[in-house]
Amino acid sequence: MSMETPAGLYKYPVTKLCMIGTTLVTLIASIANFKYIFIVKYDPFISEYHQYFRLLIFQLGCVNETDMALLVLLWYQFRNLERLMGSLKYISVISLILVYTTTCVAGLNGLVNRILPWKIWNSLTTGCLPVMLALFHFYKEYTPQVYEFEVLLTQPWSQKNHRKQYKWVLNDQFLVNALISILLLNQGVEGMICGFISWICGVFLDKGLLPGMDRWRLPLVEHFLLSKDTNNNQGFYENSGGETSEELLIRRGDREESPGTGDGALPLDDENANDEPARPLGVQFLETFRT
Amino acid sequence: MEIDGNTLLIIIIVLFLFFSTPGGDGVSSQYEFNQLETFKRQLSAEYESFERMNYNSGFRNITGFKLSLNDVIDDPQRNATYPIPSKDYEHWFQNQDYLILPEDVTSRIKNEVWSLDMDDLDENIFPPNITSSLLGRIQLVSNNKYPSIPMPIPRFYEGPTEFSDVTPPVGESYPEEWPVNSELHNVTFDTGQLTIHLTHVDKVASKLGSERKNFFNSQTDRWKFLNLRISLSDKSEHEKHLLHTNAIYDVRKGRILAMSESAKFHSRFAFPHYMNLQDGSDSDDKEMFESLKKAIEEYWKMSNFVKTLTMGDLQDWYDESVLKCEYMVFLQLSPWNQYTRDQIKMIDDELNWPLGRPANLSHLPPVTISKGILYSPDCGVELAFQDAKGERYELKIRSIRTHLLFGIGLFIAQIYLLLCQMHHTNTPSSVNKISVYCFSMINLVDGSLATIYFFAGNFLPELYLPLVTSAFACFILASVFETRYLISVYASQLNERNIGISTLLRGGHTNNEEGGTGTGTTVIPDESSISGSLYARFFFMLVTFTVLALSAMSWPRKLRMIFEYSVIIVLNSYWLPQIFRNAIKGTLPRRNRLRDQRANEAMGVRRQNKMPLLWKFVLGTTLIRTLPVVYVFTYSSNVFRHHRNVRFVVVLCLWLLFQIAMLYSQDILGSRWFLPRMSIPEGYSYHKAMPAQDLLEHGSTAKYTIDCAICMSEVPVRVEEVLETHNVDEQTYMVTPCDHIFHTHCLENWMSYKLQCPVCRSPLPPL
Repeated sequence: MSMETPAGLYKYPVTKLCMIGTTLVTLIASIANFKYIFIVKYDPFISEYHQYFRLLIFQLGCVNETDMALLVLLWYQFRNLERLMGSLKYISVISLILVYTTTCVAGLNGLVNRILPWKIWNSLTTGCLPVMLALFHFYKEYTPQVYEFEVLLTQPWSQKNHRKQYKWVLNDQFLVNALISILLLNQGVEGMICGFISWICGVFLDKGLLPGMDRWRLPLVEHFLLSKDTNNNQGFYENSGGETSEELLIRRGDREESPGTGDGALPLDDENANDEPARPLGVQFLETFRT
Repeated sequence: MEIDGNTLLIIIIVLFLFFSTPGGDGVSSQYEFNQLETFKRQLSAEYESFERMNYNSGFRNITGFKLSLNDVIDDPQRNATYPIPSKDYEHWFQNQDYLILPEDVTSRIKNEVWSLDMDDLDENIFPPNITSSLLGRIQLVSNNKYPSIPMPIPRFYEGPTEFSDVTPPVGESYPEEWPVNSELHNVTFDTGQLTIHLTHVDKVASKLGSERKNFFNSQTDRWKFLNLRISLSDKSEHEKHLLHTNAIYDVRKGRILAMSESAKFHSRFAFPHYMNLQDGSDSDDKEMFESLKKAIEEYWKMSNFVKTLTMGDLQDWYDESVLKCEYMVFLQLSPWNQYTRDQIKMIDDELNWPLGRPANLSHLPPVTISKGILYSPDCGVELAFQDAKGERYELKIRSIRTHLLFGIGLFIAQIYLLLCQMHHTNTPSSVNKISVYCFSMINLVDGSLATIYFFAGNFLPELYLPLVTSAFACFILASVFETRYLISVYASQLNERNIGISTLLRGGHTNNEEGGTGTGTTVIPDESSISGSLYARFFFMLVTFTVLALSAMSWPRKLRMIFEYSVIIVLNSYWLPQIFRNAIKGTLPRRNRLRDQRANEAMGVRRQNKMPLLWKFVLGTTLIRTLPVVYVFTYSSNVFRHHRNVRFVVVLCLWLLFQIAMLYSQDILGSRWFLPRMSIPEGYSYHKAMPAQDLLEHGSTAKYTIDCAICMSEVPVRVEEVLETHNVDEQTYMVTPCDHIFHTHCLENWMSYKLQCPVCRSPLPPL
């Protein structure tokens, strides 16, 4: 597996879909003023108004724009996972995680509020924080640490021999860790609770306690999302199932090393194929600014 | 620019002028200071008198209430002074001796307007928040039956007569010189339209110019302070009256009493007495009087009413008193008995702060004023109306937001269609067939919409986000895509400027023999220099049209309608210029085009003979642009309150259909089918035989071939005089108007970039 992932979102249809979806849903909800449907509070929405639909959709949109920005950044960081699993498996896993985390978080919340007499956990998070936390487990598990670096901190005004040196070791994943912790802190206690539950969901799913990881594939995805890419599809692997992720990783590593598949995903340099293609009007427009 | 001492001085003076406008209370001279002090003294004195007033005593020296109706009837020449010797100030009864209302108006108010059964206060439930705009029809009851009460205007309101004036004049002036039947101080129509804008005043600022506002009302379950903007007009909008009134809303009984306020009518102090017009028990009435008096005192104290008065207020009061009649407005709200108090609270909360509570807002009944009487004591005019209705303001905003979102969808669809169209015409030759005027019209409408949205965003803070998004989408469409497209169309047609239509019909260039301008010297300016002038024109048109459209909204109805209809018809004739353009450029009928295309494909030549506009674009654009018009003209409860006129919409649709049918017929039958064959001159043909003379000038070889300047290989040419060259196919080479010869394939490739001769740069007629 090459060390550097290609820049941008070329051949990352699922990541692209998730990033655009997270942004657009929040933006449209904000313009149309229906952001409030993503708020879940046990009291009054569930216990009094019986608006159970909120439990189903609370992960789809954010109420807070900071959350949205963090989530989009995290989706981008998690694109390694799409590369690792392949688009179809990635989106299937995301859909599984969405179902499991929603069920667990909403179910546990209902249970806690039913059983315990005092209100300790009234509201759920907004935005796909649970999915993120479950994927975070996968990210930590399957993305190797590439490098680490040390930040040396000394006290500037003390004498040289008394000077204490603090060493702070960070690695290349520290950005993801930081983003996840900001995301959790930003939503307060609810963020912690829901985050913990969904992280456990992620672990269980990976270890096979929650079924479906290997068998379940979203139907029709290939038709709608991936059809464009299948004609030139060396970067897109389909795991036929029956393998655990570790095996998959090993197999992928083998395949990467075999010649001929390395840079097949990059676009062909077809500048010489047709030396004077008819220029689209957009290019002509840009030309006017050139003089 | 170099900044020397003089420039600096000018800048400082300009800045000084900017920042030295009278701040605070707006006083800018000794005279105005004295005016304002007198104003404040007068109001303070009246407030003291108000504080002493109780349920059993009448008005003393409160401006506008010094005379009762009977005082005027007894002695029409009596002046409004205080105290009047024979007047009884120590008692208060609800009759003509004390009120300024005539007896039968009072009884009508008691029996017809404020007549809901109030025995059980819990029986009827009224919404506590009634911010809305109500519409209704109003009838004139009488405008000459009742005597008008003289209301003098204190003379200190008047401006100074000369510069040296320091003290304002004393005394009062009676506006005797009002013509009796003037429209300003009378209502002359029998029935008219009524609009009432209700807004709540829950908070007041207690310092001048302070942003911080405080709640003042300790009895919000009982009294609410409102501002009512009432406008009356006849149907043709020749006579308009606009009243700004303060109002008190009795939440428990659903009664609203609104009174205008001006220099001659200090109505604020009269609310407690006039709110009490009912046949109730004395103790209740007394309690109510005290409670309302307390509410008004709270308002007065919290707002620091006297201290926060400004010169602006003084001038407003004076203008209102001179220009308008004073009105007392008695309204009765319809109860919302289908809800409980808790439900109404939930509805209010949901409207203020939507969280998705189960309030069922879509079935919310309108705010309805079941009955109302407007009476003007100083003009003696009485008007009455029934059932003025309107949605709650927040619901209205919601529905406008939905409409705006739909509009954004339309803009996005339009952008997509335009991109398809741009992709369809991606060479100068095909862009050349597009009409500039067609797209100018479309562009003008989009640009004006963007401007209007943008300004509206500043006036409607609740809708800022959707309005700015719409403005953004619209602006992207108008100024990025459409204007860029226009620039390329304009650039491709530049060599046709200053040419008559007959020449254009022939093929769009000047021949040497008739034009005489010579070839090879014309310089076509590039797009960047065109875009500057085109953008300037676009913005100028935009501003002019927007200002015109906005000012047209306030014109009288008839003029406004003529303007509106003609503008809509003109701006919806956007395909008309394209029809003319098609006729000028002369595309072939569809069958011939298909045949040509097959022939050309066999030869491997790309030909520009398609219709310039995509059908998807034509139909989509028409639909997108007609939908809003259709909605506004046929859906009677549309958000713009536009009147309904189905006939106009039908005419408009037929007109658009006609244009589309013309375009279609040009596609099928050829774009010049409606022109008589005689009137069409022969177009320029690139494929023709050359005279030997010309060919020699170009340095032909002995085999009558010429080097093509593009591919540098030989072009065999058919020469008129030489028979052996006659087996050369004329379609294989092209002769430009400047007599340069190229391979058909080479030149056509080049012409998809630029309509200029590759050798001498003179303009080429498009294919």
